[in-house]
Amino acid sequence: MDINRYSRQILFEQINKSGQQRLSESTVLIVGIGALGTVISNQLVRAGVGKVRIVDRDVVEISNLQRQILFDEEDAEKSLPKAIAAKRKLERVNSMVEIEAIIGNASRDNIDELTEGVDVVLDGTDNFATRYLLNDICFKKNIPYSYGGVVSSRGMTAFFVPKQTPCLRCLSKEGSDGNQTCDTVGVISPVVDMVSSLQVTETLKYLTNRGEYLRNTLRSLDIWFNQQYDIKLNKPDLNCPTCQLNQYPALQKKAKEEEIVLCGRNTVQIHLLNHVSLEQLESKFSGIQSLKRTPFFLKVTIDEQISLTIFTDGRVLVQGTEDQVYARTVYDRYIGS
Amino acid sequence: MIEVLFFAELREKIDSGKIPMDAAGKSVKELKEMLVAKYELKTLDNVMIAVNEEYTTESTILADDDVVAFIPPVSGG
Repeated sequence: MDINRYSRQILFEQINKSGQQRLSESTVLIVGIGALGTVISNQLVRAGVGKVRIVDRDVVEISNLQRQILFDEEDAEKSLPKAIAAKRKLERVNSMVEIEAIIGNASRDNIDELTEGVDVVLDGTDNFATRYLLNDICFKKNIPYSYGGVVSSRGMTAFFVPKQTPCLRCLSKEGSDGNQTCDTVGVISPVVDMVSSLQVTETLKYLTNRGEYLRNTLRSLDIWFNQQYDIKLNKPDLNCPTCQLNQYPALQKKAKEEEIVLCGRNTVQIHLLNHVSLEQLESKFSGIQSLKRTPFFLKVTIDEQISLTIFTDGRVLVQGTEDQVYARTVYDRYIGS
Repeated sequence: MIEVLFFAELREKIDSGKIPMDAAGKSVKELKEMLVAKYELKTLDNVMIAVNEEYTTESTILADDDVVAFIPPVSGG
């Protein structure tokens, strides 16, 4: 362990040498490397957490740079996958931390693998479907879940610990995904930094064995209109399907869940296949459409409005629409299903 | 009397973060119905509800001086 690198953190007596040692032996999973995820990963990598696994399905765009602190203009010009761009920056910040970057979607099919060997799961996602998935796998596998959400000048965060606190489903019922998104009402950078900093602070307390100082509230804040409110995490909903009835609904198979509208992106993601050959698709499309091929994806410009970005894991982003039916039509027409 | 706190888009719709209501003795469900009617809200079903900083169910009966908070969940990130 590099004592000098972490000297100021070790001087903080709550962490000290023993806490630093614990951090260096810890593994975290960060799901989503956007606004929250870039701040979270930056802080945890600098703090010297031993292993950081990051997963993200998206690519860097110029409109991300206002708040997603790990990315720059070059990343946006190259449309780099966020997981890759973040890994490169984080490794330059702290080469002693092992960064595992995964381009893809956290889904029911891979969430067990993603959370293997993980001490804390941190939430950098932009939708409640994925949050319930994280909540359910964490409570099933007894892993703390650091929830955060931001939109506009508002944020919400809680550190859920299985067997000690209620879970996200106790407080927020499925289907309660608000109609306000970063697409419709925007988001300012300071609230991102505040919520993700709270997510990280609770994680540091937990990982350094200072659980007695966990806040144990669901904190809501609005930093523009000066509101703050804490809901105590002291009693579970006795009918909670996850932490009381052990049913974990997000881990159960559903009939249809392939199309997802991405927040603020004018994009629909369709994930039907587990693997595609970009090479085969490139030859299929050559001469018909305008193509851009990188090691990570193939981008096909269909017309002035619509483009497809196809990843090797089978995900396709239909860009230029939020209409799921139309997106599926385009998908079927060009990829086939 | 009780005090009702509104967050996010609810605060915008009601144009106030805090209002007093004559709802002591009523259930949280009845308070929701009163608010939906008074402020022409579509629904309060998708909102987190806390009474005196503890989350609560619709059957809870409100007492004088209770503070009830309605907080829409935040989904972006």
